Amino acid sequence: MSFFGFDTSLSGQNKGSNRDSRKKANNRKSKSPEAAMDFEDTYQGFGEHEGEEDDYLNDETFGNATELGADFDFGYGKGELEAVGQSSVSQPALNRSYASAATSTGSEMPMSGYHTGPAHIMDDGMDFTPMESLWTNQPRAMPPQQYQQQPEVQVLSMEELERQQQLQQQHPQHGYVGGVAPPPPVGYGYPPQAFMPQAGYQGMPQNMQQGMPQGLPQGLPQGMPQGLTQGMPQGLPRGMPMPMPVPMPMAGPPQRFSQASHAVQHQQPISAGQQSGQASFVAPGSSQSPELSQQSATSSTQLPTTKSPVMAAPGLFPQVSKPPQSVSSSRGQFVTEQDSRESTPRGARRGSMRKPQEPLSPEDLKRLQIRQAKVDKILRHSGVMTPRDKDFITRYQLSQIVTDDPYNEDFYFQVYKIIQRGGIVGESNKGLIARAYLEHSGHRLGGRYKRADVALQRMQSQVEKAVTVAKERPQKSRENLDSAKEGVLGKISSARNSKAPRRQLQIPLQKGDDEDVSSSAIEDVVQSMNGVDISSSSKTRRRSSYAFRSVDQRAVLSRSGGRKFVLSLIETVYAEVLELEAQLRSGKETDSTELWEALHIADDAYEVSPFISILSFDKGVKIMPRIFNFLNKDQKLKLLYCFFSELSHLNIIVTSSYKTNPNPSDSQLKKLELFQSVFLKIIVSFLSSSAEFLEVLGLLLALVKNNNVSFISTSKIGLNLITVLISRAALIKQDVSRGNVLSSMEASSWNEIYDKLFTALETKLAVVFPPDEYTAKVVTASSSGTVTSATAGQSQKHQFYDQSYIWQFLASLALSGKLNHQRVIIDEIREEIFGTISRAEQLLSSTPAEEQQIAMYQRDKLYQDLNLFLNVMGLVARDGEISELK
Amino acid sequence: MLFFSFFKTLVDQEVTVELKNDIELKGTLKSVDQFLNLKLDNISCSDESKYPHLLSVRNIFIRGSTVRYVYLDKNMVDTNLLQDAARREAMSSRK
Repeated sequence: MSFFGFDTSLSGQNKGSNRDSRKKANNRKSKSPEAAMDFEDTYQGFGEHEGEEDDYLNDETFGNATELGADFDFGYGKGELEAVGQSSVSQPALNRSYASAATSTGSEMPMSGYHTGPAHIMDDGMDFTPMESLWTNQPRAMPPQQYQQQPEVQVLSMEELERQQQLQQQHPQHGYVGGVAPPPPVGYGYPPQAFMPQAGYQGMPQNMQQGMPQGLPQGLPQGMPQGLTQGMPQGLPRGMPMPMPVPMPMAGPPQRFSQASHAVQHQQPISAGQQSGQASFVAPGSSQSPELSQQSATSSTQLPTTKSPVMAAPGLFPQVSKPPQSVSSSRGQFVTEQDSRESTPRGARRGSMRKPQEPLSPEDLKRLQIRQAKVDKILRHSGVMTPRDKDFITRYQLSQIVTDDPYNEDFYFQVYKIIQRGGIVGESNKGLIARAYLEHSGHRLGGRYKRADVALQRMQSQVEKAVTVAKERPQKSRENLDSAKEGVLGKISSARNSKAPRRQLQIPLQKGDDEDVSSSAIEDVVQSMNGVDISSSSKTRRRSSYAFRSVDQRAVLSRSGGRKFVLSLIETVYAEVLELEAQLRSGKETDSTELWEALHIADDAYEVSPFISILSFDKGVKIMPRIFNFLNKDQKLKLLYCFFSELSHLNIIVTSSYKTNPNPSDSQLKKLELFQSVFLKIIVSFLSSSAEFLEVLGLLLALVKNNNVSFISTSKIGLNLITVLISRAALIKQDVSRGNVLSSMEASSWNEIYDKLFTALETKLAVVFPPDEYTAKVVTASSSGTVTSATAGQSQKHQFYDQSYIWQFLASLALSGKLNHQRVIIDEIREEIFGTISRAEQLLSSTPAEEQQIAMYQRDKLYQDLNLFLNVMGLVARDGEISELK
Repeated sequence: MLFFSFFKTLVDQEVTVELKNDIELKGTLKSVDQFLNLKLDNISCSDESKYPHLLSVRNIFIRGSTVRYVYLDKNMVDTNLLQDAARREAMSSRK
């Protein structure tokens, strides 16, 4: 029978399975009586050849040996479980050792009746026929001698078992001998055929097995030599070792195993071997030793008693496991050891090994049964994988999530952690992964001895290995080999995996050339849209902004290359900055020329510098501090020069001016706030830390010369910027005059520029005060939304427009001016001064008593701001009066 | 790897996971893997009367493909950094 439900054994006159016909050379000419087609017509003669070299495995591959309709149980056979249950009921006394072990070991997982055999026994084979065992349904056979050989009662925990298994893997031993199983694999769900290969194993040179990676199928190389040594063209599948340990002792009492349980459950004990190669299997048995045959006989005791319809003659089996003596010396050893074991009388041996038996109380019995059931449940699939298998899989799983370039592939996590820890780089990436993986896999307790540190170390080495695997990954994928190994862990699509998920949107990527084309195309469109006169003037770019008000943001954008262009520019800038930051992290030299190019500051191709348009987007503003990290002083100066020259085009000036934007929205106020906190801060820190006097003057000149100063002064940001420049100049002037005197050239140029600025502002100084309607709107907008620095007040309810920036401006203007300048200023804003004083005085009288405190605060604030300016001229406003400052 | 990287930063934080079958689970994120499978601890279901079988469940492993949405606290996300990370991802895929 086959796994797919074809009855391949009937191939001769059967339902016309071509595959089958091919397989069975002798039957291949026969026709299927029921076939609608004449087989001869369709058959292409594939089977004309003699069986090919590997054909002898076909039966196993296609499962011919298994009975039709068999239930495959890949785990711990169900019947076996039942048998175990029965066994503990019916023969409790035999379970003695287990019972006492169970009670004494408490939470540790006791291996029922599990005993360590002699060292070599534990060491031997983790192998059995892989395929054959799949096709059969039997619970694995329990060779009874196992129990006899158990030297002492030792209950093993899972951890111990695993450790032993590891030992075995480290020292691969001779073939699997006579059903003496290594302890760990208790509950391995391998069917009894599993120990069939024992014969093959014994027949094999010992060295064949050694050094075989355990997790890999080793069947063929081993199975073949065996057939060859014996000179049998048998095509026996039995030589195929399983990468896993073989049948193991069961929790139940031994006797039950060899007798009742097997008798009950084994329905097709030998099917595979029997139908295909069993016959040849028998053949080599000519030189069997009695002991061995006894052993194998016992190991397959169940066979005769099973109900299998295909049961072999019992006599076959004893011969089966008899290895040809001539094959290898190591096998000889085995035989002798087994001999000695065998020779010990069963009863005596057990008696000597088991603890003295005590009668079990019914409760004990009950507990024992429950425990037994639990253990069986747990063990059902335990040990299906060896620790090495687990390591292998863990390594592959880890290799998917580790990287040797964490800052590149795991950027967010890495940087986030650094930010969280305040710049301190904590535990290494690999350590973290190892820890996390341990938690994930539930091994964090570190096994029986709670050696969590050991477990962590092991996992760390796993991670190391995984990193190596991960490093190899790209090369493999280049050679299209990745699927080979990744397939080990299941189907992994090479096109789409967790690293390259399917994309919802397929956006064709632009090549560099296309970008140039498109940007110039946009330019063309922009020019045609803007009309002829602008496009002609765009050659001789007008940086001056007297001619037009940049109220319409779209117009500004289009004059600087278009919205799309500016946005793509911002992305380019980001890419450059990220690249530079990555270089900085890896300690390389940074080269900012490309970044400088991307900023398009010195680019005259556009009417409005694209840099100014970059600043009209929030993300463009946010990147500025990071840009400044990479620019040298010269570049920074150029950048600021460009900035001040085209200030009128700056979107934020337009939106913060009460003239162009009388109805500021909440989001506009937020933008304003962002600009102030980000870009203004950079300018201030640059000016105060590294700018020379002349450089400040140069920036101020650029501002005055190229812009409509009175317009800029109607906006809060514009006023702030002017304030920053003149107060900085004044400060340096004072500083310098203390030390070496300002050169006459510097002094005269300062006076000149100040005069220019003052002339531009003269007669329009009063417009720096926004009208009441505007301030009222700002107050409503910010008290309904987030509180911004545009307003001041003790509580959300009692906000009022903060005019301090205006008085700061007037103060610094007056500070740098001469007496006649100050007189002009006071003349122009006289009304505002008195208006502020009267407002401050009215506050107290007009507000209700319960809000007196709030009014007091507001009044103080008004006086404070006003005095900022008045103090410059030696005046002070107090209680509604202006007096001289004493 | 961006989302994997992102969710790793949420480990030990409280999140609400909405599954494609409309179950909403709130719990502490214990781990996440490259498939965005999630492990939650101390879970509570937002609609316990509808899914009483989840009352007794304390921790849960969620297959990533069954997640519809993960609700986060705003403070758990560094949006600027996330933007940078997304840009890096886009840059590396362009190369």
